[in-house]
Parts: sequence; C-alpha cells; structure tokens
Amino acid sequence: MEGERMDRNRKILISILAVLVLTSVIAIVDISMNMQQKRGAGISLTGPQIGPGVGIARIEGPIQMLGVSSPMSATSGAEGVIRRLDELEQNNDIRAIVVRINSPGGTVAATQEIYEKLWRLRKKKIPLIASMGEIAASGGYYVASACDYIVANHGSITGSIGVIAVSPNLRGLFDKLGITMNVIKSGRYKDILSVHRDITPEERQLIQEIIDSSYRKFVRDVARGRAHVQGEDGIKPIADGRIMSGETALKHKLVDMLGTFEDAVDKARQMAKLAEDAPVYDEVKSSLQQFLFNMEGRFSGRNFLNPDPRLLQYENNYRIEYRYLP
Amino acid sequence: MIITELRSLRWADLFLFSLLDPRALYRQIYRKEPKSFALSFTVPAAVAVMDIITLSLLGKQTPFFYYKITYGWILLFLFQILTVIISAALMDMASQLFSFKGNIREFIILVNFSLFPRVFILPLAYVFKVFNFAPLFFYTFFFMGLLIWSAFIAIQGISEMHATGLGRAVVVYLFPTLLMGIAIFFMVILLGILGVGYLAN
Repeated sequence: MEGERMDRNRKILISILAVLVLTSVIAIVDISMNMQQKRGAGISLTGPQIGPGVGIARIEGPIQMLGVSSPMSATSGAEGVIRRLDELEQNNDIRAIVVRINSPGGTVAATQEIYEKLWRLRKKKIPLIASMGEIAASGGYYVASACDYIVANHGSITGSIGVIAVSPNLRGLFDKLGITMNVIKSGRYKDILSVHRDITPEERQLIQEIIDSSYRKFVRDVARGRAHVQGEDGIKPIADGRIMSGETALKHKLVDMLGTFEDAVDKARQMAKLAEDAPVYDEVKSSLQQFLFNMEGRFSGRNFLNPDPRLLQYENNYRIEYRYLP
Repeated sequence: MIITELRSLRWADLFLFSLLDPRALYRQIYRKEPKSFALSFTVPAAVAVMDIITLSLLGKQTPFFYYKITYGWILLFLFQILTVIISAALMDMASQLFSFKGNIREFIILVNFSLFPRVFILPLAYVFKVFNFAPLFFYTFFFMGLLIWSAFIAIQGISEMHATGLGRAVVVYLFPTLLMGIAIFFMVILLGILGVGYLAN
C-alpha cells in the first residue's frame, strides 16, 4: 500500500517536471516570437544571429570626412563608414559585405577614402556588393564602383560621373549694397573663389585643372572597379555628368543587376557561398534605432535636400565635390 | 546501472521530499539511496535556466536572449554552484562551532535540493505575464515566497541532520549570510576610508 502511494507520488512529480520543461519550451518560443514580431518579420522563427553571415555598411547622405554624431545616428561620415568596414573586416563571421548607398556623393577626399578602403577589402577577396537606394550618384556611384557587384533599384538615381565646384558670385549684390571687402593676402590666388568679386581667367584655369585631375581619377577608378565589365573607353562616353535611372545604368553596364536590398543580400550570400538563411549583421540593431534614424531623415536620404544646420555651416564654403547637385 | 536507477524512479523521491518532507529528504541523503551528490547539481542548473527565462520573459526581449540562455546560463550555473559551496562550507563551520559533527558533502546536497522550489518561479510568473496583471509585482512576490520556502527546506534538513531544534538550525543556516554581511560591511568601510584618503591626497 505504502509502495503504491510512493509510486503514484513519483509519477506525479515526473508529471510536474514534464510540465516545467514544457513551460520553459513555451516561454522560449514565446520570447523568440516576440523578438521576430518586433523585427517585423512575421511569426517565423529563426535562430540566433550567430555564425558566418553578411555584414551591412551604410553610406547615407552627403559624403564628407566627418559625420554628425549623435546618440541616434548610424555610422556617419567617411571616417565612420571606414570604421564600420574595419569592424566587419575584423569579424571572422563576416563572409561578404553589402554596402547600402543612399548618397548624392560628396567631397573628393572623403569619397576616395571610402573607395580605397573598399578596394582593399576587395583585394582581400571579401565579396562586396553595392546596393543602391534612392540615389547613388556621383561620389555615391564612385564608391559603388569599388564593389564586385552593383545592384540598383529600377528607379535609383545614379551616374553623374563628374566633378563640380560651386561658388556664388555676390559682387552685384555687394555693389548694390555698397559693401566692399578689405582683403590682405600673401599671394594672388589666396582668395580664390571669393564671393565678392568675379573669378579671373587664371583662377578659373587653376580650378579647372583640379577639377580635371579629380575627374580623370574618378573615371580611372570607376574603370578599375568595373574592369570585369568594361574599360575606360566604355565609361568615358557617359562620364559627362549625366544622371540616369537604374535601368539606364544597367544598359550602360554601370550596374550589374536591377533589384532590391534583399536581392543584394541574397547575391552576397550566393557569392560568399553561404546558406540562404545566413544571418545579416546590420548597423541598425533595434527598431527603435531605425525609428530614430528616420526621425533624423538620415535613412530616407533626404539630408542633401534638407541638410542638417550643422552641415550648412560647412556648405557655405566652396569645395570641390563628386556630387550630384540638382 | 544508471539506466536501472533511472527507471526505478527512486531519484524522484529526493525531489518529492524536498517539496513535501525536508526531514525525509535529509534521511534519504544520509542513507545515500540513491546516491544524490551529482544529481543534486541538476537543481541549481534548472534554477539558473528558469531564472534566465523568467527574467527575459518579463524584461526587454532582444536577440541577446540567445546568449543569455547559452553562455549566460553556464555563467549563472557556475555562480550558483560557487554560492552553494561557500554557503555549505560556512554552514559546516557554524555546525562545528555548535559542536555538531561537520559534513560538507551533505550540506552541499541539502542546499542544492533546498533550491528546488525556485524552479516554480517560471510557471507562476508566466501566468501573470500572459494576463498582463502586474507581472513584476507578482514575480517579486513569488520570488520572495519561494526563497522563504527554500530556506525552510534547508533549515528543516539541518535540524534533522544534527537532531537539534529549529532555533539552532536557523542560526546555522543564517551564519553564512551574517558572515558575508559582516564581510561586505567591513569592505564598504575599508573602501570608504580608501576613497576619503584618495580624495584627501
């Protein structure tokens, strides 16, 4: 009788233990599903973000050396992008990199720094795939050309291969207002591109030389990046500053494929011989961060249309840029 | 041998007694039928899993959960083992101060099994989480309750171990807490003095 009672009690305890195990499993599934829903990926379950995968680097807004840093912002500015690429390079789990570009271009030196960094990664045989967002023109295309493969949306604005330097001439306004400038300079060109006077033919020639040199470098680097598709002779006829849609760019072999960001990620997995569901390591960690980015207009690529006031301070100075300026 | 032991379900008695009759639990530990030393460590392991899942369920749910449930679990499990061993050693010391016979091995087993009620924190807290009815309050409430239940099991076990009254068993049980409390108190004072000295220079 006592033995039977013990047996029954033991079975009850085993049932309790089974219920505990079941509760744990249900709780783990619940937590996983909540995380998936937060990511906006429906209710499908995936494993943890570990193991070999694809890294994402984002180039958003005008390219310049230093970005605007805030707790909300993603890696910004050429230095930030290079830092992100360094992180990905040092991470053994990263087998391919998708460079998401949403930029109208920017300053020559900053663009070249990103290009060279990407080129170094390319030489290390890390598959690089450029994915164009709304716009990847001029310097935006320059950096894309350093990648092994370029994916553009049908309506992405790209091309604009060229160099531009813009400086306002306010002489007429100054004359009208009776404003004169006292300029004491050490050399004849020290106040080149000053806004209060006309540019001289010599000065124009000097600037043109810089523009031409930067342009030649642009075309040469694009040709180097696209050597597997076409040479400098193929690039030059369309390197007149014209912008084009993704579709036209495909015709001119400036891009390799029309597709979305997802397609670019899939292509990266394919090039790195990864599984179809290999993890993606993005800079944006949480939906809150994404929301904050959108608040700043950084992810919508609107920075060049609606620039940050802190950037405007710099915009007032002249500079030579690989940039599409509508 | 192990399979036969598992099938006999005698091991379940240890868990059963820890919930229903802590004195019988100690008698079972003393008789070593079944051998319970290794088995007792399954309890802190299970408690570590339940703690992590419960806190993740109630807190912010991020992909970091996967790290918590893997590496975090190992870390928490090791920490709990360390706590159990230190507590058992100090309880053993306290027992000897009362002129009882020391047996650290039995203390470790007893303290391990005394943690068993804490595995119920997950189902208890989960119910309130599902209905979204003050889950954090009830988590704290049940946590305290289960902690007291754990203490009760250990105290009853110690009382049976040394054939002594509950009063002395409570002192033996609380000795590690008191000792650690005093140690922390003096460490804080020492750090305070060092801090003042550093700032004064």
